[in-house]
Amino acid sequence: MLKRLVVLLLLASVYTGAPARGTYQEPDTFLAETFLNNTPEPAVIWLTGKRKDTVKQLLGHRYASLRIRYWRRAQRSAWILEETGKDQPITVGLVVNAGRLEKIKVLVFRESRGEEVRHPFFTDQFKDARLDDRGNLDRTIDGISGATLSVRAMKKLARLALYLDAEVRKQDVSSSP
Amino acid sequence: MSRHHRRKQRFKLRSFYVWHRYMGVGAAAFMLVIAVTGVLLNHTEGLQLDSRHVQSNWILDWYGIQAPRDMNAFLAGDRHVTLMGEHLYLNRREVSGNYRQLMGAVLKNDMFVVAVSDNILLLTLRGERIDRLRPGDGIPAGILQIGTDADGAIVVRTSLDHYQPDADFLHWARRGNDLTGVHWATPSPLDPKLRSALQHHFRGEVLPVERVILDLHSGRFFGRLGPWVFDAAAALLILLSLSGTWIWLKRRR
Repeated sequence: MLKRLVVLLLLASVYTGAPARGTYQEPDTFLAETFLNNTPEPAVIWLTGKRKDTVKQLLGHRYASLRIRYWRRAQRSAWILEETGKDQPITVGLVVNAGRLEKIKVLVFRESRGEEVRHPFFTDQFKDARLDDRGNLDRTIDGISGATLSVRAMKKLARLALYLDAEVRKQDVSSSP
Repeated sequence: MSRHHRRKQRFKLRSFYVWHRYMGVGAAAFMLVIAVTGVLLNHTEGLQLDSRHVQSNWILDWYGIQAPRDMNAFLAGDRHVTLMGEHLYLNRREVSGNYRQLMGAVLKNDMFVVAVSDNILLLTLRGERIDRLRPGDGIPAGILQIGTDADGAIVVRTSLDHYQPDADFLHWARRGNDLTGVHWATPSPLDPKLRSALQHHFRGEVLPVERVILDLHSGRFFGRLGPWVFDAAAALLILLSLSGTWIWLKRRR
């Protein structure tokens, strides 16, 4: 009994001591998986003018870059975005399909804590989420204790991807004859 | 109880009270430091103590924080792109992010193109980041040099070949070995004024205020003996609470 307890305690210490940092999926593998090994050519959207202000409002600060690359085929668009949790940027892959979030996945996690946000029990909550009229997600996302800042970063990126996808589709409408 | 015995008791109590006062005065300074820093640490996030950095020169000197003497700098147009530690600067402005290994920087139209950390960084003239292209974004791996050709087009050199990007930097193609007219970026010395300003900025970005307050709270700020002195102060506080209770009980009698 005592032996089992010691083994259990050792395993628990090994588990809690596991580093949170890591590359869980390379961005190009994420894209290949999303587009079934037929990744479209990348395009860019510029964060200038009113778009820059809206992004600042969504994130609470300016996005790190002035232009963002995305990959799009028909109604689906894929985005590789970054947002800082506490100190380090979290790289997240997002897929938007017809204005709804199809997939959100942590690709690179660099923080020392909060990596629980990469698990499906958390990311599944975003499935089919879209933006309401006020630019918020149309559902409540339950947080994870001890990962508050990472959760916040994930929610911000979900809103950002949905907003940018809407902007890209708006460009289509304005450029159509 | 005899009058002599009672007087002796009163004298003992008075002398104990004097010791209690001395201990109180002795512990007061430590108590103040521990209490104030404790309150501050309880509100680290609200007060942003973890994201604000110490600027005071004497505290930075006390901690032995020095800016690196070696700086890798390239002159692009009339601005210097400098890497110091993991900080990248366009003249005096810091570019967001952490970097290593600056291979070169050039000015192309209204944009700086910087080869750093195996990435290509595109910056506006004001130092805002336009994009950070990583190896997964199709840029050539292992960039050793960056330059411009006679037409002003970007050229990079890797150990294998030379490459050129399209106008949006989304696709890169082999250039071949015709390098006529290519001007490679070469390291350039910084003028002393800019060097000193960057060193000052670097030092002011290293030590979080939270760390200093934690060290004050534990006594580590005062050197190797600091924690022992603070332990002694804590022991003094324990004695103080016991002696205070004892005096109060004696007086009640």
